[in-house]
Amino acid sequence: MSAVEHSDTTAWIGTLRAARSRGRLRLVAIMSALVVLGVLATLMTGPTLTTPGQLLRIFSGHDVPGASFAVTELRLPRATLSVLTGMSFGLGGVIFQTLLRNPLASPDIIGISAGASAAAVFAIVILGWSGAAVSVTAVIAGLGIALLIYLLAWRDRVSGARLILVGIGLAAMLDSLIAYVLSRAPSWTLQDALRWLTGSVNGATLDEALPLMLALLVLGGLLLARRGNLEAMRLGDDTAAALGVPLARDKVIAVMAAVGLIAVATAVSGPIAFVAFLSGPIAKRIAGPGRSPLIPAALVGALLVLIGDYTGQHLLAGRFPVGVVTGALGAPYLIYLIIRSNRTGRET
Amino acid sequence: MTTITAETLNAGYGGRPILTDLDLTVPPGVVTAIVGANACGKSTLLRCLSRLLKPSSGQVVLEGRSIRDMPTRQLARVLGLLPQSPIAPDGITVADLVSHGRHPHQGMLSRWTQADDIAVAHALEATRTAELADRDVDELSGGQRQRVWIAMALAQETDILLLDEPTTFLDIAHQIEVLDLLVDLNCRRGTTIVMVLHDLNLAARYADHLVAMRQGQVHAAGSPERVLTEDMVEQVFGVPCRVMTDPTSGQPMMLPLGRHLTPPEPARKELSA
Repeated sequence: MSAVEHSDTTAWIGTLRAARSRGRLRLVAIMSALVVLGVLATLMTGPTLTTPGQLLRIFSGHDVPGASFAVTELRLPRATLSVLTGMSFGLGGVIFQTLLRNPLASPDIIGISAGASAAAVFAIVILGWSGAAVSVTAVIAGLGIALLIYLLAWRDRVSGARLILVGIGLAAMLDSLIAYVLSRAPSWTLQDALRWLTGSVNGATLDEALPLMLALLVLGGLLLARRGNLEAMRLGDDTAAALGVPLARDKVIAVMAAVGLIAVATAVSGPIAFVAFLSGPIAKRIAGPGRSPLIPAALVGALLVLIGDYTGQHLLAGRFPVGVVTGALGAPYLIYLIIRSNRTGRET
Repeated sequence: MTTITAETLNAGYGGRPILTDLDLTVPPGVVTAIVGANACGKSTLLRCLSRLLKPSSGQVVLEGRSIRDMPTRQLARVLGLLPQSPIAPDGITVADLVSHGRHPHQGMLSRWTQADDIAVAHALEATRTAELADRDVDELSGGQRQRVWIAMALAQETDILLLDEPTTFLDIAHQIEVLDLLVDLNCRRGTTIVMVLHDLNLAARYADHLVAMRQGQVHAAGSPERVLTEDMVEQVFGVPCRVMTDPTSGQPMMLPLGRHLTPPEPARKELSA
């Protein structure tokens, strides 16, 4: 092999890699722009349309009669929470789907969101707690459910299919637990019930955004920092271990971080239906095959919640919480996946 | 040269013992082939050598140090393993797959460098897969895919490379291609190769050192001439056979007899003689 050929191949490898990372960057830029557009649409739309000029004036501290309150107190928290919960669900979901190599292994299908939701609703409705205590309870319950699924699915080793089936069963039990707690509540509204059953960003406040932002920064940052190991794990456990990935430790870190993201978001908005489940596959479709699309999945999650909420609030007759809309989107895809995995007789 | 040895190794799955008091020294800088009947513990041994499986007792020693005490990443810079059925993620390109081999050379902070590109390029060229760099691994033939996996292991730049049945599911042309490639690697870089092979004749042809395993222990180890004997095949595989010298390589060659063999007249005389 001549030296010229060596340097040619080296250059080509470098070019291929640079082109791909440019493509990824462009995609993230475009999707971030779409998220910004979605936020703007949420900020502008209400019973009366707020113009971008008015928005500018409001955010530079001026008072615009008839718009300031709606924008800063109602729509801004709503848009902020939509983006943050969407990103948490999207990122948490794609981590699970990547680790278990199955799109059905999303935390909202296998009961982890339902566990966090059940704990949150119990803490709020029965114990009368609020704020960080609810988040912590939800995270602990989410981790507890994850551990329970793992133990129930254990037979010599954990198979993905068994884990998913156990998780679906647990999710059904937890959903009925949520319904039971809601029915025992001294006073509850339809809004509250819908929030804990399908998820909603109604009545959002900016205070609620803080734990979400912290969780995204810390846990999301941790996941992105370890993404090299996560990518290597996609080659199979043996190959990853041979490449020097400390498997046991990294799996635990990834699962705990993903559960944390899902649980903190669920404690705020309820388990917004199917956002975790849909974000990864949509991001993969857009980003194309290759690396596991962590950041695109987070952005798709944000877009799904923004669009779902906008649709439920402004485009449909009557006002629906976001979870009703994303649920309607996700259910057909779930059915499609189940049919397809049955037809091919193997895990997708 | 890096030496790897197994010392009174006991290992198994779920309490079922597979390896029992196994001792093995892999000679450095040569090609070693491990042969043996199904379920005799060949893969288990490879998994212990690469620390994928923790032995219940005994230890694996690399450069005078138990591999249990080595940091995972450091071990992966010295010792590579190609498992029997690695998984290629959906739609991954050849270049990306081979780039994974650089994983143990990268820290949390150190980024991808030109040196990594060069290592990947060398690995692609050594396996003649450079022209496939931008193709999807899914689109490749079985032989090409195996070469790409070997390229990934090459990019890891380890002194020792373990391969679990690298020729399974390949036709004879691709088997020879893969084995030739491994010998190239041994000659050019001095890499110690340890591979599990099913084909005794290919093992004797390509290995400098042959290890025959039986019921979780090393039954015989040494040069192919010493190890590949009619007695060994009978004891290890339970197959009566004749061993003669391969006229093309001068290495021993095994011909199984089987129950339905009716040799032609001259051969029958020779056999009964």
